[in-house]
Amino acid sequence: MTEEQNIQTPIIELNGVTKEYSSKKSFLSKAGTSIIALNNISLAIQKKEIFGLVGQSGSGKTTIGRILVKLEQPTKGIIKLNGKPANSLKGKALENYRSKVQMIFQDPYQSLNPHLSIAETILEPLVVNKIGNAVTRREKVIETLEIVGLSPGQEFYHRYPHQLSGGQRQRVAVARAIILDPEFIVADEPTSMMDATIAIQLFQLLLDIRKKFKMTFLFITHNLAAARFLCDRIAVIHNGVIVETGSAEMVIKDPQHAYTKKLILAQPGFNFKN
Amino acid sequence: MALLSVENLSVGYKSKNGLINAVNNISFSIEQGRSLGFVGESGCGKTTLGMTLMGLLPENASILKGDIFFNDHNLARFNDEQWRRFRGKETAMIFQAAMNALNPVIRVDEQIAEVIEIHNPLMSKTEIYTQVKKMFDLVEIPENRLRDFPHQYSGGMKQRAIIAMALACMPRLIIADEPTTALDVIVQDQILKEIKKIQKALNTSIIFISHDIAVVADVCKDICVMYGGHIVEKGTREEVFKSPRHPYTKALLGSYLSLDSEENIKVPEMRDSPDLITTTGVCMFANNCNCKSQDCKNKTPGWVNLSSTHQALCFEEVLNKDKND
Amino acid sequence: MKNTENIPENKNHYIERFTKAWAIFIKNPMGKTGLIILLVFMLMAIASFFVPLLGPVYHPMTGADPNITYSTGPSFQHWLGTDFIGRDLFVQLLEGAKVAFIVGLSCAFISVVLGTAIGMISGYAGGIIDTLLMRVADIFMVLPSLVILLILASLWELSIWVIIFIIAIMRWPSVSRIIRSQTLSLKSRPFIEASRVAGASNFRIIFKHIMPNVLPLAFLYMTFRVTSAILVEAALSFLGFGDPGQVSWGMMLQWVWSSGHMFQAPYWLLPPGICISLLTLSFYMLGRAMDEVLDPRLRKEEEV
Repeated sequence: MTEEQNIQTPIIELNGVTKEYSSKKSFLSKAGTSIIALNNISLAIQKKEIFGLVGQSGSGKTTIGRILVKLEQPTKGIIKLNGKPANSLKGKALENYRSKVQMIFQDPYQSLNPHLSIAETILEPLVVNKIGNAVTRREKVIETLEIVGLSPGQEFYHRYPHQLSGGQRQRVAVARAIILDPEFIVADEPTSMMDATIAIQLFQLLLDIRKKFKMTFLFITHNLAAARFLCDRIAVIHNGVIVETGSAEMVIKDPQHAYTKKLILAQPGFNFKN
Repeated sequence: MALLSVENLSVGYKSKNGLINAVNNISFSIEQGRSLGFVGESGCGKTTLGMTLMGLLPENASILKGDIFFNDHNLARFNDEQWRRFRGKETAMIFQAAMNALNPVIRVDEQIAEVIEIHNPLMSKTEIYTQVKKMFDLVEIPENRLRDFPHQYSGGMKQRAIIAMALACMPRLIIADEPTTALDVIVQDQILKEIKKIQKALNTSIIFISHDIAVVADVCKDICVMYGGHIVEKGTREEVFKSPRHPYTKALLGSYLSLDSEENIKVPEMRDSPDLITTTGVCMFANNCNCKSQDCKNKTPGWVNLSSTHQALCFEEVLNKDKND
Repeated sequence: MKNTENIPENKNHYIERFTKAWAIFIKNPMGKTGLIILLVFMLMAIASFFVPLLGPVYHPMTGADPNITYSTGPSFQHWLGTDFIGRDLFVQLLEGAKVAFIVGLSCAFISVVLGTAIGMISGYAGGIIDTLLMRVADIFMVLPSLVILLILASLWELSIWVIIFIIAIMRWPSVSRIIRSQTLSLKSRPFIEASRVAGASNFRIIFKHIMPNVLPLAFLYMTFRVTSAILVEAALSFLGFGDPGQVSWGMMLQWVWSSGHMFQAPYWLLPPGICISLLTLSFYMLGRAMDEVLDPRLRKEEEV
């Protein structure tokens, strides 16, 4: 029993998670219509892996990420962190969960408060979780800035988001996500607003961070090639249903589901025949 | 003779901090029936170029110098009235956010008919609607969806309708600015196939602008790579993508993720985006380039001929040094 | 050990934003005109503190000139003339400017602070709290404030501060509506969500993240509130229900009328009337110019 747990307990587990959005019952239509965004999703993410969730817009991939960081509640199903159910956490337990599960958002122009300096933004997780004092926090922020490639950290400390480029802003968002030393990070299309030459550098950063801190990532993307570059395992999601899960290599080399095949065929490539 | 030839074109934006040289001394030409792709990243000037070719520059932008020859006209000297008559008839544009280009309260076929009517006032109603049907046929929208309203269409179908609208007057040149950027991969694939098919069928010329090198490589036979307002490398797609020579093209290709292999991935060290206001007379890419040649920061690079069709805006010694690496 | 000492300070952020906003503001002819008029009135208000020091004759309320017992026109001694018991009109006008500022600014301040707080809470909390607060706001919004003030003033003698407070209480709902809708749109912005994921409390999110983003809007509304507060107070005083121990422009007009000088003493009637119009106009112009500063479309152009 204990041995099995040691080997098998995934860091994050979703069991039969369903999410329905219902339009409010108004007084003319009593029933109210509902849209099923996620249908019976089950997946398990192992420690230290980068798990890719690939899907097109409207597939429900972002909803999974938001459920995992507790920005939304599933209609049905169970979420587990390190084997412990984490569906309806409150107070201390929720604080504890949030210090272990962090998120990197899609648009770095939207996810940083324009009125806060870089330091204030990165400090926030430390402040709200009451970790350290003014001096140690300051050191930690500068150290983290340098980890995410914004060095020297002192130089960025008092800057404001509008003084940084898109790539640099996303690095700030990464710094905010890793400063608490979380176990699990949800990265929701972190490069979809970036140029290819900048995006690949951010991918490299995520790989470096994984190696250095042994963090686990859920990488949400619409780009199969990016998932292949970054991820150990991939799940393909379509219309709220996971249609295929497997190692990144296998899913791309030997897709089983018709939708995955279609997705792979549609990738533009450098074939100069026509 | 080339259908469109652009010579030493520079376009600038007025801003508080000075003149932004968005497009800088660009020359190229395109023959009837060919497809030319412009690829580059944000701020490289590709969208400004497209807008210039359609006479749609915003008020604070202007052509600083250069000529744009289309047949016998010099588009760079056109006034608003001339543009109005020219646009849509001789050239058409497919925009980035094309979904929003359809009026939500007018039926799709009527919107396309309107475009035809404007440019062909003598055409009869039946002739116009035959033409509309033909266009929808070409972009493979079923006939029973003609009378729909835009909101009844999916994203892909809206984009098809936009293409039909662009084709309505049989323009000789189509400028497509990131026409598939907002679309899912599967829909993008269908639209790209559509564009290629139509281009072949109608023998139109296409200028295709995108940040995605694979998409450009898929559609276009000739490629221009842009950086910091300049074209830095041009040639056939085989030349540019199989044996890139300019350091920026290499960086771009090195960061492209494909499904095939990871061997060619080279994570570039790019920090600075080029300063389009103050940088003049040097290579725009110098700060991000690993060539470390002294010339780059002091002299203006010139065109180096690599083959009859392949050219790069760089210094010969840099190109040679890099080749030996 | 990291070097945490020599971090270059960057305190210029707010200064920089202010200078940017100022540049747009001052380019606007309306803003410039409004500001100049406002400065003149400010000087008048400041002067009102010093003029009575010249002598008891120059006290706005009690300083009747012993030599004059009826209303006189402008003279060297009394620049604008005197009222029916020989008090200096210019001194009264200065005093009126002071009162107008006190009434306008304090009313605006109270109502905007109240409206902003309620608007943020309402928008952020949502649900039943939102519904309750907004219904209360609706009730206040439809109350005719001048009529209520008149009734209250006819029952009790209201001091200027009570009047200010009542006007402020009647004026917060429209501010809170605006702030609420702004809060609603901010609430779903990624940087608010990011802060929630980081573990921030609701209190922290409201005051650290939402408030700095709604303050400029609140400030804009403050200028419009100033205008309406000055007008309400003037109307109240003119109708004879103002604070009887306090000279104000409305009170001056009331005296012109009640002493029967309405059509005999233009030097007495016109100045307070013109001052009320000009001061409210200047605040209105300031508001319009600030509106342009805050207009996101204009700001976008600025960023290009």
